[in-house]
Amino acid sequence: MLTLYHWEPNANSGKPMLALAEKGVKFQSHYLDLLNFDQHKPEYLKINPNGTIPALVHDDLVLTESTAIMEYADEAFPGPKLTPDDPVERWRMRWWMRFFDQYFAPSLSMIGWSIFVGPSVRNKDPEELKAAIERIPLKERRIAWSKAIYNTFSPEELEESRRRVGVGTLALEKALSDRQWIAGETYSLADINGFNLGYALPLAQPQLCNDEKTPHILHWLRAIYARPAAKATWKLGRTPMAERVKYLES
Amino acid sequence: MLELYHWEPNTFSLKPLIVLHEKGISFTSRYTDFVSLQQYALPANIAENVEVQHNPERDGPILVADGVPMTESFFITLYLDESYPEKPLRPADAYGRWQVLMWARFVNEVLEPAVSTLGAKQYLAPALAARDRRDVEKTISRMPTEEQRGAWSAALNNTYTDELVADSRRKIALGVRKIEDALAASDWLVGNAYSLADIDAYAILSPLRDLEADLLADAPRTAAWLVRIDARPAVQAALATSRTGKPQEAFTPGPEHSRWG
Repeated sequence: MLTLYHWEPNANSGKPMLALAEKGVKFQSHYLDLLNFDQHKPEYLKINPNGTIPALVHDDLVLTESTAIMEYADEAFPGPKLTPDDPVERWRMRWWMRFFDQYFAPSLSMIGWSIFVGPSVRNKDPEELKAAIERIPLKERRIAWSKAIYNTFSPEELEESRRRVGVGTLALEKALSDRQWIAGETYSLADINGFNLGYALPLAQPQLCNDEKTPHILHWLRAIYARPAAKATWKLGRTPMAERVKYLES
Repeated sequence: MLELYHWEPNTFSLKPLIVLHEKGISFTSRYTDFVSLQQYALPANIAENVEVQHNPERDGPILVADGVPMTESFFITLYLDESYPEKPLRPADAYGRWQVLMWARFVNEVLEPAVSTLGAKQYLAPALAARDRRDVEKTISRMPTEEQRGAWSAALNNTYTDELVADSRRKIALGVRKIEDALAASDWLVGNAYSLADIDAYAILSPLRDLEADLLADAPRTAAWLVRIDARPAVQAALATSRTGKPQEAFTPGPEHSRWG
């Protein structure tokens, strides 16, 4: 029995969705609406007490943290391997996933939350919002949601995040100018991770990421979206956010 | 051939040194004095790699294998365990391996910035203050990333605030409690065997016994676990590579604290 609790094919939720699709592993999909705080409701906290998504439930095991879930799925299930055979490529896959997860994505998502997540939920009833924030189990997530909802990211924080998105984009372009895939010659979990982070980068940051300035990133994004598993995964999106992927058809 | 660029056997540098000795892998040691900033004077074929310049540890060991310089101390140990499968240091099953990854993520996100901040304030800042300030400033100005320049300037000027120290202590207390809880069920963090998860957490927590011993006072299982790991011949061999005789005082600014609070 395999159930994935996830939101849109985007950022963290999209990582195990795409990895399982690439492997051809069937799973029961349990959609949680992040903007409706489904991930902090008691039914879900019974599955993952931290209230973070995604979570993968495999028989009696509960797996959390999207990147670690992907590594688990690649080892536990049959299908094409998404981890290179060469140990140096495996090291590079993991290095880049950490760079995406802990440097690039937090900055990109701070910008995304300030312009998208915050405005999307701010028109809800203030008391309901306050109660929703209080239900969030992890302190750092509580701070992040408060900042997004009440738009209290400081200009310095946002400026620093924009700077880091610039640094991350240049580093990625440099890496992809040496290699076809992030880890080397093999399409891997690092590409799946990076695609979830970057599929809409040319739309969100058109002055930084475009065919002239970052041709290798654009080529790489289009090559991943050309894969049937990516197309099928992004079709599961329910919001305009996931539809931004269509940019890659051009 | 394997070459390891490393400093004193403490925190980040200690992890691969332990694994190399546990597995009996031969390697060439390239001792690099991090407090003298020798890690910013490495050959260009190493220094100019993206993964070296954007090393999340900022300053840490670099393993060169097949001409590729690899950074990030836990991922180096994972590389060694996968390349030299004799005497495995991870469980054989996918769930056990997921647990090892989860420990490493917790250690790198919560404990490493916290312990590094306290160690840098205690040992690194005074060591830098004793050196020629203009020399240090010149090296800092040539560091490849703004993050590195900021971290080393903070150490040089000892700008660690009381708030940051208090937050670091809070994070360490949280980590010690988590380890203490895990050790209630087993002698080791994952399953019933010593693994990369133990090595990873040990390397970061071991120097606390000198630095902030009070944070371990209510954690008898954690204290006994540190002593169990101390006693391993491979750990003793790794610690014996020290040139200063005080490896537990060797600190760099370390990875940054999460910007999301």
